[in-house]
Amino acid sequence: MIGWLLAAPALAVLALAFLWPMAGLFRISLNRTTETGAMETALTTESYGKLLGDEFIRELVWNTLVLAGSSAAIAVALALPVALMVRAASPRWRGPLALMAIAPLLVSGTARLIGWMAILGDNGLINALLMGLGLRETPWPLINNWTGVRIGLVESLMPYAVLVLIAGLGRLDPRLEEAAATLGAGRVRTFFRVTLPLAAPALLAAWLLALVLGISAFITPRLMGGGRVFVLATEIYDQALEYVNWPAASALAMLLLGGLVLLMLLRAAVAKFAGGRA
Amino acid sequence: MRPSWMLRLFAAFGLLVLLAPGALVLVVSFSAGDFLTFPPPGFSLRWYEALFTHAGLMSALATSALLAAAVSALALLVGAPAAYAIARLDFPGRGVLATLLMAPLLLPTLVLGLGLLLVLQPLGLVATWPGLMLGHSLVAIPFAVRIMTTAFAAVPKELEAAAWTLGATPLRAALRVTLPNAAPGAIAAGVLTFLVSFDETVISLFLVGPRLTTLPVEMFRYAERTTDPLIAALAMSLIVFALLMVAVVERLMGFTRAMGRD
Amino acid sequence: MSGAAPHLRLEGLTRHYGGAPAPAVDAVSLDLPRGALLALLGPSGCGKTTTLRMIAGLERPDGGRILVGGQDVTALPPHRRQMGVVFQSYALFPHMTAAGNAAFGLEMRGLGRAERARRAQAALEMVGLGALAGRRPRQLSGGQQQRVALARALAIEPELLLLDEPLSALDAKLREGVRDEIRALQQRLGTTTVFVTHDQTEALAMADLVAVMDAGRVEQLAPPEEIFERPATRFVATFVGRAARLAGRLEPGGVFRCGGGLALRSASGLAPGPAEAFLRPHRVRLLAPAEAPPPGFDNLLDATLARRTYTGEVIALETETAAGPVMAELHAGTDEAWRGLAPGAPLRLAFRAADLAVFPAP
Repeated sequence: MIGWLLAAPALAVLALAFLWPMAGLFRISLNRTTETGAMETALTTESYGKLLGDEFIRELVWNTLVLAGSSAAIAVALALPVALMVRAASPRWRGPLALMAIAPLLVSGTARLIGWMAILGDNGLINALLMGLGLRETPWPLINNWTGVRIGLVESLMPYAVLVLIAGLGRLDPRLEEAAATLGAGRVRTFFRVTLPLAAPALLAAWLLALVLGISAFITPRLMGGGRVFVLATEIYDQALEYVNWPAASALAMLLLGGLVLLMLLRAAVAKFAGGRA
Repeated sequence: MRPSWMLRLFAAFGLLVLLAPGALVLVVSFSAGDFLTFPPPGFSLRWYEALFTHAGLMSALATSALLAAAVSALALLVGAPAAYAIARLDFPGRGVLATLLMAPLLLPTLVLGLGLLLVLQPLGLVATWPGLMLGHSLVAIPFAVRIMTTAFAAVPKELEAAAWTLGATPLRAALRVTLPNAAPGAIAAGVLTFLVSFDETVISLFLVGPRLTTLPVEMFRYAERTTDPLIAALAMSLIVFALLMVAVVERLMGFTRAMGRD
Repeated sequence: MSGAAPHLRLEGLTRHYGGAPAPAVDAVSLDLPRGALLALLGPSGCGKTTTLRMIAGLERPDGGRILVGGQDVTALPPHRRQMGVVFQSYALFPHMTAAGNAAFGLEMRGLGRAERARRAQAALEMVGLGALAGRRPRQLSGGQQQRVALARALAIEPELLLLDEPLSALDAKLREGVRDEIRALQQRLGTTTVFVTHDQTEALAMADLVAVMDAGRVEQLAPPEEIFERPATRFVATFVGRAARLAGRLEPGGVFRCGGGLALRSASGLAPGPAEAFLRPHRVRLLAPAEAPPPGFDNLLDATLARRTYTGEVIALETETAAGPVMAELHAGTDEAWRGLAPGAPLRLAFRAADLAVFPAP
């Protein structure tokens, strides 16, 4: 009882900042937008109906899933060697390596995207190299399109994937790989026959987390897409602040939430499965 | 086993991807040119000068710093007792409480920000200090609770039991024994929640207005319109600041542990 | 001491953890005289630590009472019990010096700064650490930390001293020395002490009384020699020391009939029925095949040496007899004549009726 009492202040603030807005969001998603664009109090699922029947929204959902799914997969693939390296490194290097991989989490996302603009832009590092070497006549368009968004997203998801993989791989006994080596497996075979199967639950958990974060990413698609890439998150933002259509924005947000909750349940199931096996 | 050269190579590429943006920001922020071109036509400090004399950004910086300080103080104040309860006490519903307190971190900030806008706008609380503090507390409190729980849990329970057997009341034992030993974690939690609030962008986008705006929002809007070395200088300043904070946390309790999920 | 009330009395002490099928501590009752050292001995999970924690007030009993000097303390919280506890992990406060640790209990009692410092220093000197009072726990070795924990517990001049496996974190080499020091200090101060251990050597060497525990119950409460030589239950016979186990039947007159129809004499007064007999190796006398037994050795077994294991001071012998495997031992030095014995050699084993401990078959 005293436990709940000690937590009461925190719960009170969160109720005010979390439960109340979420309830408001749900309530407003049931309101109606009139022809003139004004909001009218109602209890209707009109906004949901409009969204589900809208070709553009369906395309948006598909694009969002493809972007998030592929970016998450690339992020996990790039994060795996980093996490393996952290695990294999001597204790002296383990800390600094992990720190390098995770520190970007706390560096402002916008700041990092500005770095990517300097790398990928028409006058950026990569195009300067390509054109300097005579490999291309004109700049290779790497930003203000899906490619740029994907690259930025991969980088922003990587630290999370590294974190999940370090935790997941930490439970694997390195002696298993040594055992495989003593049994005559080469490094590549050891990786594919021992390390990878054992890491599979951690990889799946990392991908699902990255997927969830990727689906709801806003800053990256907005800045790297240069206003030409549309995903669910940018649409919610535009509906709420550009068109001030609150019922539509709320309904879209509720749909996003529903999808994410499903994914998170799946993630919990995977974690349980992986935990049960370990 | 020693890592193979192949693993080293792939890992190096992964780290390169993670560190490249910071490195490029560093280079172009000292550019003497007018655009984000690489290589820069020359080097100068002119964009840092321009940054520190940019009235709009500087006033947003002051707002953000003040807001982050207030938010991290609030988060620690309400988060520490909750974290102590989760880490130390055995009571019905402890798991539920921990989940409840972490719940906001699971949801996209975009949705949280939208929800806050919808309920705060009718009350005239958008672009006000209370509104922004509430919005930032939403991410800061779960963060503070998580780090403080780790910090409290790292202090062996036996220490408190030992204090009791020596005649300390539960309250005195918590204050004289557990709290001092969790203090580095508390400072780390303070630093990290400060940084979380200071860098918070998406929720703020919904809650700012011409009257009151934060640095990350102004930076985002600036970058949406145009990219020049001024914004790189700002990005570099933020990166340096974040790295300093990370170093402080690393020294206090280990950054990886502080950020770790269970 | 006769007639005096026990210093510590446990009456039907019970602790049942939610979810567990059986109680962790099951109706434990015992009396401990003032100034005595009691060892709670048993395998892990037998309830010995839970019992100690209930005495300290760190765990709440579900039933029964704890009396200290005749006063019921069952409902008192730990900070009002005056128990000096040494934890298995020592639980030294890392943010305080050795002196700060030793003074903590005195500070909680509201003693003045000077008095605290004086008594903390005295406690540290008592354990031989007077010179290291300014060190923090992490600057001390394991053995030194253990002494600081002891000094901290003794500084409050406790009613009872409670030690939870205090030697288990020490190197094997240090353990014996520290064990003797703790015993000497305890006897000098006359502090009534309860000591939890899973190590029978520790329990037998240090204690005035040993309580052997299993599955939450006290199997036997007796002085060390009695525990070792006259185990009261089958569990005590198997847990303390080594013994050969023979299966058979108890017949009237204390005759134990075992494999091959062999009849062995015992001093057992149990009712006839299926039984098990235990025989300790050091009670078995080795004879040459035709040698007559010394007087009093009523039982004779013909045996064949199956295996010998050299362990330094003793050579452990495993023999096969008609009654089953029986262990014996040779002492290097006194049993020189037997050293050449090789597996397969015929032997004769003799032992007294009183050395065969018989219990009903489980």
